[in-house]
Amino acid sequence: MRWLRDMWTKEGPGIAKDAAKKHGLALFAEIIRREWWEIVKLNLLFILASLPIVTIPAALAAMASVSVALVEDRNIYLGRDFWAAFRKYLWRATMAGFILSTAIALGVYATVTYASLATGALVFAVPLAISAAATVFICVFACHDLVLMVMRDLPLVQRVRLAALASLARPLPAIGAIGFVAALWLVHILLYPVSVFMPATLNFSLGMFAVTFGVHRAAVESLSRVTSMRTSRGGGAAAQNT
Amino acid sequence: MASISLKGLNKTYGPLTVVHDIDLEIADKEFIILVGPSGCGKSTTLRMIAGLDEISGGELRIGGDLVNDVPSKDRDIAMVFQNYALYPHMTVYKNMAFGLELRRAPRDLIDAQVTAAADILDISHLLNRKPKALSGGQRQRVALGRAMVRNPAVFLLDEPLSNLDAKLRGTMRTEIAKLHKRLSATFVYVTHDQVEAMTMADRIVVMKDGRIQQVDTPQQLYDRPVNIFVAGFIGAPPINLLPATIARRGEQFVAIFDGQELPLPSHYDKARIAAYEGREVVLGIRPENLHELPPADIPQQHLAPIAAIADLAEPMGSEVHLNVTAGGRNLIARLSPRFRARIGSEVRLIADTSQVQLFDKDTERSIHH
Repeated sequence: MRWLRDMWTKEGPGIAKDAAKKHGLALFAEIIRREWWEIVKLNLLFILASLPIVTIPAALAAMASVSVALVEDRNIYLGRDFWAAFRKYLWRATMAGFILSTAIALGVYATVTYASLATGALVFAVPLAISAAATVFICVFACHDLVLMVMRDLPLVQRVRLAALASLARPLPAIGAIGFVAALWLVHILLYPVSVFMPATLNFSLGMFAVTFGVHRAAVESLSRVTSMRTSRGGGAAAQNT
Repeated sequence: MASISLKGLNKTYGPLTVVHDIDLEIADKEFIILVGPSGCGKSTTLRMIAGLDEISGGELRIGGDLVNDVPSKDRDIAMVFQNYALYPHMTVYKNMAFGLELRRAPRDLIDAQVTAAADILDISHLLNRKPKALSGGQRQRVALGRAMVRNPAVFLLDEPLSNLDAKLRGTMRTEIAKLHKRLSATFVYVTHDQVEAMTMADRIVVMKDGRIQQVDTPQQLYDRPVNIFVAGFIGAPPINLLPATIARRGEQFVAIFDGQELPLPSHYDKARIAAYEGREVVLGIRPENLHELPPADIPQQHLAPIAAIADLAEPMGSEVHLNVTAGGRNLIARLSPRFRARIGSEVRLIADTSQVQLFDKDTERSIHH
């Protein structure tokens, strides 16, 4: 039984304070390796919170809130933090979810329609390209909007503007994350029934973590711009007062 | 105020008594260290203070309040264990916050306390990691941090550095001493390592067989041990204990060892020593009081030669520990690293007798203190 005890008590290699920080995919893999059990539990919480269906957007926001903490290497009390975020973002997320899912559905519908028309008349290739690009942009925008919503309480207009700017400034990581989510579901479909437990254990939470990881930097940069604008405005006002 | 008072404290397991009527007063903000060999009752005493072991008899007061029957959680103490006792499934943050969580402290307060403790202990970068990734030193810091966040009046530390390697132990020793100054709390620390005791403590409690042998400052313990056990326990290399006979030479007394007369210091109580005239005593000479050459700063009347055979030289870098045999006894001398002795040949050491200790052969108690 010593091996069992050692599994818990054996000293590790230690973590150097000045160790080089990992970036990109290496960091992504490290967080998943470290937090995989939290991710599994997060997935179960999401499924539980999504059971009434209409609460899916709020559950997504709660999952994003926990994912941001994972990305930022902050402490979380999973259950407590998840439900607190679920309650906090219930209305905001539901509203945003309704609008954005409608927009994405319309975009997909338009793209599919123009694609079928384009096979008959090449002139429809232009609206097809526009609708496809618009749909991708709305998806990228939705990712940024969701993460910005859980990172800081901002007025709606400002949040939308920042999400749009972030989507334009750094669209590729978000597209990559969306691709990762698509790949997760593709793997589930291809390996079915071996992968029958994937959605129940990690597809939702791992997908949301990937999205959060992908858009986090753009969100931080947008928010820091807001902070610096406020600071300079405050500084200007102070200078005027003096 | 977090003074601790132990009056006639004892601990029995059926017919076996492991702590015998201990009396000890620990002042507020004092750093006191219980030291002694394995099985001397130091950890049991600490556990009684912590409330982890039931008190069989006597009184225990913390901050003036009798706490014999007060549960551990209500004693305003925090304990750090030798094996760290961290929860392996929790992150460092959660390990540190656990005590406050149980007390239903507000989350902001918990966060502030954990962050502050982590900053002090330089473990902020570990907060979201689990103990299995941490080294021994980092785990020990977390264990200290967990004690700190509760801001207790008394810290109880049970051999907290025993699992660390020698280098890390040295570093952590310094850090714990600094921590004590910074926190201004009462520290009760248990160790069997006399170096830890000597370097960190305001006062040291030397224990043997469940009894307190001596309570004093580190220097006083070293210079004025009350018995042979304390003299032998404190000091590395250990004190040389030699059989000697007391004799009078005019107004002065000498100790005769192996036919060589060692003059006893004139400031020793002559009336006490006179009672031992012609009797055998135990003479204690610290290794640093044996020299290869007569030291210039010690008066001639305090110096006496000892003829010995060199057995083994242990170079330590800054000094040489020379093991010699004299009068059928093994002695250790701390000499200059430049000293070269031929092993097996005779060496002539100079004993500084101004610092010798005298003990009663039967009672083993100091004669002149």
